[in-house]
Amino acid sequence: MNRRAVFTSLLRGMRREELADAQPMILEAGAEEYTQPLTLDDALHLLRRTGFGPSYTQAASLVGRTAADVVEELLGDDNEPAPESPGAWVDVWTEDPQGADLATRNQILRQWDVNMSAFAKWWLGRMTNDPSMIEKITLFWSGHWVTEYEFDETHSIPQMLYRQYLMFRRNRLLNMRTMALDVTTDAAMLYFLGGTFNSVGTANENYARELMELFLTGLGWYTEGDVKEGARVLTGWRTQMFSDAPAPNGKYESWFDAAAHDIGAKQYLGVTIPARTEDNNTAFQVREEEVGRIIEILHTARAEAVSTFIASKVYKYFVYSSPGDVPTQFIADIATTFRNADFKLRALFKAMFTSAHFFDPALRGAQIKTPIEYLTGLQRQLGVTIANPDVWVANMDQPVMDPPNVSGWAGYRTWISTNTYPVRRSLAAELIKSMSDEQCGTFISQFPDYTDAKKFVAGVVQFMLPVPVSQTRMDFYLSALLQGAPDYDWPSILADEGAAGGRLRNLLTTISKAPDFQLC
Amino acid sequence: MKRRSFIATTAAATLGTQVLGNVPLHAYSPVRLMDTLADDDRVLIVIQMFGGNDGLNTIIPAEDPEYYKIRPNLSIPQAVAKKVLSRIYMHPALDPAGTYNLRMMMEDGRLAVIQGVGYENPNLSHFRSTDIWLSGFNSSDPNKRLIEGWLGRYWAHRIQGFPETLPDHPTAVQIGGTLSMLLQSQRGDIGIALTDPDAFFRLGQGLSPDMQPLPEDSRYSKEFNFVRLVAEQSDRYSTVIKDAFDSGKNTVKYADNGFVRQMQLVARLISGGLRSKVFMVYLGGFDTHVNQQNEDYEGLHPFLLESLSTGIGQFMQDALAQGFADRVVGMTVSEFGRRPYENGSWGTDHGAGSVQLVWGNGVKAGVYGNNPNLSDLTSNGDLRYQWDYRRVYADVMETWFGGTPDDTESVLEERLLPIGIFQRPSSVSDAFAGRQQLNIRAYPNPVTSTATLEWEQTVPASIKVELYAMDGRYVETVYKGRVQPGMMRLPVQPSQSGAYICNVVVNGVSNQVPIRVLH
Repeated sequence: MNRRAVFTSLLRGMRREELADAQPMILEAGAEEYTQPLTLDDALHLLRRTGFGPSYTQAASLVGRTAADVVEELLGDDNEPAPESPGAWVDVWTEDPQGADLATRNQILRQWDVNMSAFAKWWLGRMTNDPSMIEKITLFWSGHWVTEYEFDETHSIPQMLYRQYLMFRRNRLLNMRTMALDVTTDAAMLYFLGGTFNSVGTANENYARELMELFLTGLGWYTEGDVKEGARVLTGWRTQMFSDAPAPNGKYESWFDAAAHDIGAKQYLGVTIPARTEDNNTAFQVREEEVGRIIEILHTARAEAVSTFIASKVYKYFVYSSPGDVPTQFIADIATTFRNADFKLRALFKAMFTSAHFFDPALRGAQIKTPIEYLTGLQRQLGVTIANPDVWVANMDQPVMDPPNVSGWAGYRTWISTNTYPVRRSLAAELIKSMSDEQCGTFISQFPDYTDAKKFVAGVVQFMLPVPVSQTRMDFYLSALLQGAPDYDWPSILADEGAAGGRLRNLLTTISKAPDFQLC
Repeated sequence: MKRRSFIATTAAATLGTQVLGNVPLHAYSPVRLMDTLADDDRVLIVIQMFGGNDGLNTIIPAEDPEYYKIRPNLSIPQAVAKKVLSRIYMHPALDPAGTYNLRMMMEDGRLAVIQGVGYENPNLSHFRSTDIWLSGFNSSDPNKRLIEGWLGRYWAHRIQGFPETLPDHPTAVQIGGTLSMLLQSQRGDIGIALTDPDAFFRLGQGLSPDMQPLPEDSRYSKEFNFVRLVAEQSDRYSTVIKDAFDSGKNTVKYADNGFVRQMQLVARLISGGLRSKVFMVYLGGFDTHVNQQNEDYEGLHPFLLESLSTGIGQFMQDALAQGFADRVVGMTVSEFGRRPYENGSWGTDHGAGSVQLVWGNGVKAGVYGNNPNLSDLTSNGDLRYQWDYRRVYADVMETWFGGTPDDTESVLEERLLPIGIFQRPSSVSDAFAGRQQLNIRAYPNPVTSTATLEWEQTVPASIKVELYAMDGRYVETVYKGRVQPGMMRLPVQPSQSGAYICNVVVNGVSNQVPIRVLH
């Protein structure tokens, strides 16, 4: 019997109860603050859910502190400085491929792909190295207010998507209203949802509908008439895309074409927005008095819907995403906090991440890692990187800033299919294989008591898997590490960098085969 | 591979390149009963046209002046639309040159067009309406969570021992993407998502975690079991798919187009013996708010229609050549249609009610329902629906898959009358001799020189064979006389290319057999 067969029979022989410790089903904790000092498991859980996989030393450094204290720090500053530019391409003009000859057109499109790949690699790198919640929350917003890189027969220009990224990052903790206003006149969004074609007399309803349905209230809070009137309010905003188009506000920014704006009175959610005269039809006035106004109306006339909808989105993304199992009372409580804070997003995230509910054991290990979390988290945890991470996340169905449709990634179980699960496994195998003996040594020595084989394996399992495993599984992993050697030999194996590296890679590979390796 | 790369919109690519004459076709036209077909052989292909297909620019109401008033830019002039069988006008993009296509399938009796499919209280959200279509539950109540597909529910209950034991072959295969809600059920996914059989085989083998499911007593264990099942399916089905892919073949040169390639893959898997019941393919981009079509009647929407027509046509031709055409039917689903009034961006906004296409040898070909009434719109300016979309599902379950009205009721939570879109095995055995519909075959079809009409004549009969053009004009009489019982084989040799109806009158009973001539 070969080694794999031995392992296999060991696991096959396990009774179901032996595969994992029973996790509680009953979710008792609510929105009250979690005040206990954080344990290592708590800290790992917090970092897994609000960041891109923990580093062991960072998690260890949080032990004993309070959730409130830690979350405040990890959220980052409201006015976090913008990151350094990913490259000169972000300010390079692009020609309009429409109407160009085929060779030029192909060249333009190729350049966009190159830019998009550079942007995706740059952002994935930032995520891998971000010890805070900044990039994760920015990624959340980018998945909420959806734009797609490729859609229909066209593309969002990467330069515009980069600017949109900065806009989400800047707004991520500020007020929901100002974020909504910035998104509504965002160049990439105007192009993606047809706002740039929306003109008086021939309104395009696309964005006006999604602003409510997908971005702020969800279904059921407006009429088809509100969609039509909203579209009239939003007429006139234009995306500056190409070097040969007018660019009143600079490269890849939006601008206002007064002649295309519908100056008539509108009725939105039962509120009248008065008609304006030609003289009062400026970008500033329309942005404040009409675009800002309908966002304000949504945040007052539909305050409860907006706060609940956003709180649910945050909950599904960071806490638990099963659509059939939603704790309505908890979400209502968080939504109330959000409204009471006048829609300040920092308050929403803080209330969510410091709640006893967030730390409830019944939710540990119940979330499927998104492809981006899976890739960046593995890179972070293993201390290695993969070439072409942008291609890997695309192969796992999460290309950066390019969701399948305007509702974004469906999330939850759609992340794992017979198409993507094999890619996930192969990614883990590649990353583990790429760990040099020296990198294995670094990985091993970050655990306290790493010279004790049993304690070391327990530490790795705690670090790599979301919930404690049974003793039988732990023994199985120990045998994967030692490969027949007695555990008292481990210190001497450690003295041989090559032997230790091989054994660590075998342990990690074995752990990566478990279904709960995909969970967090 | 990302789904959209697979179905990449190679907009500039020319679709039809292959010629019909090279391929040995042996069509059975008109397609008749399939009472010998075991239920187990039957396959359904679901084509999801995401975004909301514009029904008014698919089947054109070219005789309705109102259409031209409300669509000043986007309408298809009567002279440009393709008139088919003197009955309907198709968008010209549905009739791409150089390939078997939907227009020909309509003429050959392989296409059913259902006008005005929709549901009560239409929901104009892509996502809710898609969920309504895929789940088979018409509920716009956001609190009613739609998380299972109607086919997922149907098959989860029909597969023995599911999900504890998996069937040898995946019950459903979706080409590309993550598994659609259509194929999900509370008891587990009934199928797999597949993009590239070779990659699936390379990566999928040996992925079984060799662990049993956990008791489902926590949120963690539920997700653990979900991932475990996908791992198990990846391991098991990667070999099955690879075997089918390797022993299967295509006999048609398919167009180089993402959607068409999906249809090609389905044909090859069926050809190779994959015993899946349901295939799902995807054609996105129908959310045509902007630049739906240009002045030359080309552009985004025509391209999508051309892709659709080419994909189905070439699949059908392949299936006919390989002899599995009788086993397969297909249907389109799209979450809604477009608003009759065009918007100002050379596009159309979300609307209710649209056209559904059901195709295959097993359909009762024809047009179901009337052209939409553009003078009687809803208060929101939308079309009124004529057929509840779930009635087609009832047809699929009760007639195609051999279920019962009880199945329909348990899956849709309501008893619905099938439209009658599929052929049923006939129970008429007492028709007196010589006065009944006959199973008359024409082969080859399409034909390049001489077609043969063939049937078994059981009693002496007087026979007349007339040739008509598809628009109903008389062309010639091919044969007239009396015959004795036996196998009848009559040659038919029309002098010009085109589609014809052979009207075979036997003892006064008319049998219509379409044939297509390609000189």
